[in-house]
Amino acid sequence: MTTLKEPDTNEVLSQRIVEDIQVKAELGRYRIRGFSTFQRLVHFDDVMFVARNLTERNSENGTVETETILGTRFAERAIKISTPVYITGMSYGALSRTAKVALAKGAAKVGTATCTGDGGMLTEERRYSTKMIYQLNASRYGVTPQDLVKGDGIEIVVGQGAKPATGGLLMGQKVSAIIAEKRDLPAGIDQRSPTRHPEWLGPDDLGIFVETMRELTDWKVPIQIKIPACRVRDDVKLAAKTGADGIVIDGMQAGTGASSEVVLDHSGIPTLSAIATAREALKEIDLYKKVYLVVSGGIRNGVDAAKAIALGADAVAIGQAAMIALNCNREIPGVTDFDREVGVPAGYCTKCNTGKCPVGITTQDPELEKRLILDEAAVRVANFLDSMTTEMKVITRAVGKNNVHDLSPDDMVALNLEASIMTKLPMVGTQTVPSMTRW
Amino acid sequence: MALRKADQRVSISDSAGVVVDARKLTTREFNVRLHALLSQGKTRITITNPEARHNLGVGLLQGCRLEFEGSVGYYCLSYCDGIDATVKGNSGWGLGDNLMSGRIIVTRNVGSSTGASMRGGEIIVWGDAGARTGISMKGGTVIVAGDSGFLTGFMMQKGRIIVLGDVGSAAGDSMYEGIIYFGGKVKSLGADAKIEPVDRREQKEVVGILMSAGARLEDIPRSFKKIVSKKKLYHYDSLEPLERDRMVI
Repeated sequence: MTTLKEPDTNEVLSQRIVEDIQVKAELGRYRIRGFSTFQRLVHFDDVMFVARNLTERNSENGTVETETILGTRFAERAIKISTPVYITGMSYGALSRTAKVALAKGAAKVGTATCTGDGGMLTEERRYSTKMIYQLNASRYGVTPQDLVKGDGIEIVVGQGAKPATGGLLMGQKVSAIIAEKRDLPAGIDQRSPTRHPEWLGPDDLGIFVETMRELTDWKVPIQIKIPACRVRDDVKLAAKTGADGIVIDGMQAGTGASSEVVLDHSGIPTLSAIATAREALKEIDLYKKVYLVVSGGIRNGVDAAKAIALGADAVAIGQAAMIALNCNREIPGVTDFDREVGVPAGYCTKCNTGKCPVGITTQDPELEKRLILDEAAVRVANFLDSMTTEMKVITRAVGKNNVHDLSPDDMVALNLEASIMTKLPMVGTQTVPSMTRW
Repeated sequence: MALRKADQRVSISDSAGVVVDARKLTTREFNVRLHALLSQGKTRITITNPEARHNLGVGLLQGCRLEFEGSVGYYCLSYCDGIDATVKGNSGWGLGDNLMSGRIIVTRNVGSSTGASMRGGEIIVWGDAGARTGISMKGGTVIVAGDSGFLTGFMMQKGRIIVLGDVGSAAGDSMYEGIIYFGGKVKSLGADAKIEPVDRREQKEVVGILMSAGARLEDIPRSFKKIVSKKKLYHYDSLEPLERDRMVI
């Protein structure tokens, strides 16, 4: 008889699933966590840039332009940022005040934008951010017209990629007295936001509401619509026809402060597949490069950003990567103890929803928040944004271009069949793309 | 934000009123004209021929007295602060969306989502109100002299709605701290909503608000009831260990 040295692995009922069932047998409801999906999905690692070498002479001019202008369709004042990456909307409430201010300061240092997130505008974010997009969610927490007009842009959120068609969620341990007052809620409740906006229901009303925002802002600033990546082709066309200046496509790999795991792991489509679909949808209605496209959801570094741009984006927005730059999942000797505080080692924590963030980012506990040193955190954010920009420049130069916005699908191949079908890029080793009649 | 009193009048100049014919202007031109007049201190404005157009009077952030001689469309008088407006006709969806303070009166009926997300002030409807009246309110008062529709007070956080007539189905669904007073019948209650009686003190308060809004005592129901939240949805019933250690600062 042989004794197995390691237990068999059951792929269907893995150890993680077994634990999940056991916990839910006690809970009697879905589980909640932060961060992003655990699913293994096709992502930017499945597509590659290919330099031209002998087929085309690379430019000897080493400079690469990264300046990005968003919102030339209707707005009087487009948003001009130094690099095609900005900080996506993450709420004060989900994040601590120090985290929000650090992101604002870091973004300002490199000349890019931030977005308020849900829950209204933090005064300090407007003070420190040189370009701030005001996010308008279904909840309308903390929204005032006086604050709305202070934005350099407005983002109307139809949904987010991490949890499509569900409202925001902020657990009671993060609804402090300050957050509660800002959101007009009782302190300590498990805040649940509406899934739909209160005054518009469909794309036709949204078109009228976009005009409302234009009139409110005197047609001065860009209006963008954020859509979770689901039925991208139709959603992008409908969003573009509302008269928005831009569309943000938020893929399934996007993060969140709190969501039911059901939606986090089983709703939406991968970011990579959403970009090419959005590009083609805009081309079909002759609005490609007239309506700008921002992509978010699992952008981890400059080369992911460059790939997104090559596939059709005008810019990308980062959330999780920005938080990691702040200090997310970093064990700080003498300060944090992830195992003891959140039950998992640093690098594996997805407990944003609990408010127990050991590094003071996704918490309203002032003692934990003290562990995030503002100016140091801002420098880390700026450094990371700079690293993304230099990575974009390196890869752009490597494929023979001098402007990151000149990157195109012709500069890339797919490494596998799935990525090829999703992106319409030829699979490496072939010259063809698997054909599809509709995508 | 503290709720301003409904009868707190804003300071309006004594300048002679101005008449603006909306028919001759695009929506953009109309709103530009309105803002220009206000910045010139001309704060009493009569608007003729609004013709149920959308987005009239958006983002007015200073005291003014407006009278619309006719119906307005969607999202009119939205994102305003300190206005005193009357619509002599009907209104489309989203009237007074995110109103901060002031008063809006509609002499006939209003569509869906009247007073959506309003934070203060008062909206008075002398006819019927459509679905989602007072949806997501954060403060202020909506008064409906007639009936109010489906999902009235949905996800209402603060503020009050007073309906002299009947309230439609799913009333008060998922409310937090808002109150819906009604004088007629409720077709059905929404999730986590319940009906409670109104005591004499509260009845007197509601009658006072209505009379202050211009209602005649003989038209006001002798007794109101109210819809409030059961507050069963405030917290998850069960929590994981890390979620259990609750802390409110």
